Amino acid sequence: MNQLGSLSLAAALAFAAYAVVAGALGGKLRSLRVTRSAERATLAFFVMITLAVVALEYLILTDKFHNAYVSEHSNRDLFTFYKVAALWAGQEGSLLFWTWLLSLYSALAILLNRKKNRQLMPYVVAVLMGTGTFFSSLVLFVANPFQELSLISAAGTQPFAPPDGNGLNPLLQYHPMVIHPPMLYLGYVGMVVPFAFAMAALITRQLGDNWIRTTRRWTMVPWMLLGLGILLGGNWAYAVLGWGGYWAWDPVENASLLPWLSGTAFLHSVMIQEKRGMLKVWNVVLVITTFFLSIFGTFLTRSGIVSSVHAFAQSRIGPFFAVFLCVIVFFSVTLLFLRLDHLKSENKLDSLVSRESGFLFNNWILLALVFAVLWGTLFPLISKAVQGVTVTVGAPFFNKTAVPMGLLLLFLTGAGPLLAWRKTSFQSLKRNFVVPLIIAGAAGVILLIAGVRHFYAWMTLFLSAFVAACVLGEFWKGARTRMKTARENFAQALYNLTMRNTRRYGGYVVHLGVVVLFIGFAGLAFNTQSKGLMREGDLLRVKDYLLRCDGLVSGETPNYEYTRALITVTKDGHAFTSMHPEKRFYKASQQPTSYVAIHPTLAEDLYVVLAGLDQDTGKAVIEVFVNPLVMWVWIGGVVVFLGTLLALVPSRVEREMAEIRRTQQDIAVQASDAI
Amino acid sequence: MPSKWASIILAVGLGVTSLARADRSAKPTVESIGDEVMCLCGCVATLNHCPHRDCATVAEVRAIIEKEIAAGKDETTILQDLAIRYGVQVLASPPGKGFNLTAWILPGVGLLAGLSFVVIIVRRWRKPSPAVADASPKPVDPKLLAAVEEEMKASGLGVRD
Repeated sequence: MNQLGSLSLAAALAFAAYAVVAGALGGKLRSLRVTRSAERATLAFFVMITLAVVALEYLILTDKFHNAYVSEHSNRDLFTFYKVAALWAGQEGSLLFWTWLLSLYSALAILLNRKKNRQLMPYVVAVLMGTGTFFSSLVLFVANPFQELSLISAAGTQPFAPPDGNGLNPLLQYHPMVIHPPMLYLGYVGMVVPFAFAMAALITRQLGDNWIRTTRRWTMVPWMLLGLGILLGGNWAYAVLGWGGYWAWDPVENASLLPWLSGTAFLHSVMIQEKRGMLKVWNVVLVITTFFLSIFGTFLTRSGIVSSVHAFAQSRIGPFFAVFLCVIVFFSVTLLFLRLDHLKSENKLDSLVSRESGFLFNNWILLALVFAVLWGTLFPLISKAVQGVTVTVGAPFFNKTAVPMGLLLLFLTGAGPLLAWRKTSFQSLKRNFVVPLIIAGAAGVILLIAGVRHFYAWMTLFLSAFVAACVLGEFWKGARTRMKTARENFAQALYNLTMRNTRRYGGYVVHLGVVVLFIGFAGLAFNTQSKGLMREGDLLRVKDYLLRCDGLVSGETPNYEYTRALITVTKDGHAFTSMHPEKRFYKASQQPTSYVAIHPTLAEDLYVVLAGLDQDTGKAVIEVFVNPLVMWVWIGGVVVFLGTLLALVPSRVEREMAEIRRTQQDIAVQASDAI
Repeated sequence: MPSKWASIILAVGLGVTSLARADRSAKPTVESIGDEVMCLCGCVATLNHCPHRDCATVAEVRAIIEKEIAAGKDETTILQDLAIRYGVQVLASPPGKGFNLTAWILPGVGLLAGLSFVVIIVRRWRKPSPAVADASPKPVDPKLLAAVEEEMKASGLGVRD
């Protein structure tokens, strides 16, 4: 099976390299036959990488410990569920998984464009498979997951299979962790498709709206999945790391946030190009930046150049990634400069107070945020190079620099959609902003009366009220107009309004989700924590909660040994819940980990950690956190996800337009086939 | 009229935000400083978030912080003392001196540079060419515009798409 895996990788590399050459030739010679050959090679690349993935999964699931990767990242008693996830637990497997997702996206891009974008497709294939060539050669030559263990003795080299493996990192043995990396990777990898279309558009000088229309959905899907991956990562950190929070501005967390932010900027500025034919250079720059940051994120996670609690796999792949990143920058920036004449803006800005300038300011904040986060993430390395000391750049730095920018962005989330394209009159501004400002003002005063004195928390909640009023007002006004003109009831009017323009109203739902997320973030200002040593009968009070320890129990499963604290909680004198935090010791990896007990409510989470046993007294070390509004972070994430799904559904008008375009393209393809 | 509205909004905004800011100069606590200080046991976490429960570094540094708070020192002085004792690596964010100052300045510079860039772009784009200026359309009847907006909104294709 190891040979089959390596052979598949070698064949995949050959197909990818061929597809690069054939794609470029097919585009240059304008030969449909050569282009189709490149596309078939890409599909073969997908089949070969799939075969390699199946081979590695087979080795993991059947406990073939003669394979070095299986021996390192799995063990016999590991749940099957986690064995499947062991594919992306280590360096070699995760790079193979990355390559497989790339092959999947490439195959989908080809299958969905068999009759569309025919001038772009040869170069799209070449760029996709250029990336495929890099990753498959990395997996084949530098981080091959199909290496066999061997024993070197006087008698020579003998194959070796240990009786059991080292097991999966205990921190990864958590249910959401099984879907967190695939979502994150789907986000990172998916950004290659818009990049490939942008490069193809630059090469062919087809820089009209077509590539922009095509790439919008190809950007939204990975953007959505990357966001979901980030959210699941936060959920994992919250439930497993046991420090009571979900975001620590860790370098690897930052690396995942960067392409999401630049992708957000692109998804907004792309609308200006579609509507007004402006920002053409800027959109190409954003696509390049987003792809660069996606590869950079993978590099940061996998190279180990920064200290991080998340850097699970570190090896010698850093220099290869650095070279690849340089190639991306050189190739794309050169191409962009060569095509600047074709990227002239078609329109002028009519007014400073307009939707266009709103998007410009939104892009300004998003890119400033990208710069601040990137700068903070890399500063320890820069500091080491300049002054010989690795200065720490942690959460306090990011909170001071990024949070104010985040609040500006939150304001624009509400204000932007209220501005009209071309020009917004003062009357229109007054009409649209007065009610949201009154609602936000009232909310601000109520918060002050309720005792909210933390500046950022107050400002976040004040702006959240403003944005929610702005966005809900748009739904309300639109539905009310439909109720009058189309004689529909409110529910029908709301439904038809949304389905007529899913992109706009899906976007509004995303903005509402962002509001909910920020409400959750505001809760961070009011976190409370306490710590105590407890044995049976001991009490610990935190805010309104009284925790009583009912004892400690120990036991074991085939995979780990555990000590569990039995805790009964009362709130304001009434029975509230029972919680059972655990300290686990995984047998195969010989590593301890905490299993946090969380009682979530909409108002606050009660979060209990069994940190260990005190060596002097034998009592349990119990840490308790009361974290307000955390549930809203997860709800907000789900709303953003659902809003993006809604925006992906073709609206009624869009479907009619697409039908017309499809007919035109069919005619064009038939004509080119005939030639 | 616009300036009147702007003044009211500004006054209300400043008044309310200054009220909200009133609580910012709170007395330091071990927990608040624990978020600003790194644990040097190798865990890559702050003092408050070190995953090693019996960490000797956490115990030692927390004891120092408690002592300095009891002596009436403020947060800045306590952080300076810790940096002298353990080196700048103990601080969770770069000190605002020497080369490290660039860590703090550059995000602001980036923000302002971006703003300048946006302003320049907007000004350049707003400059109408003579031909365009001559061909500028006559003002549209506001009633007609409102009727069109109403109709487009009803169809779900509002002018602010």
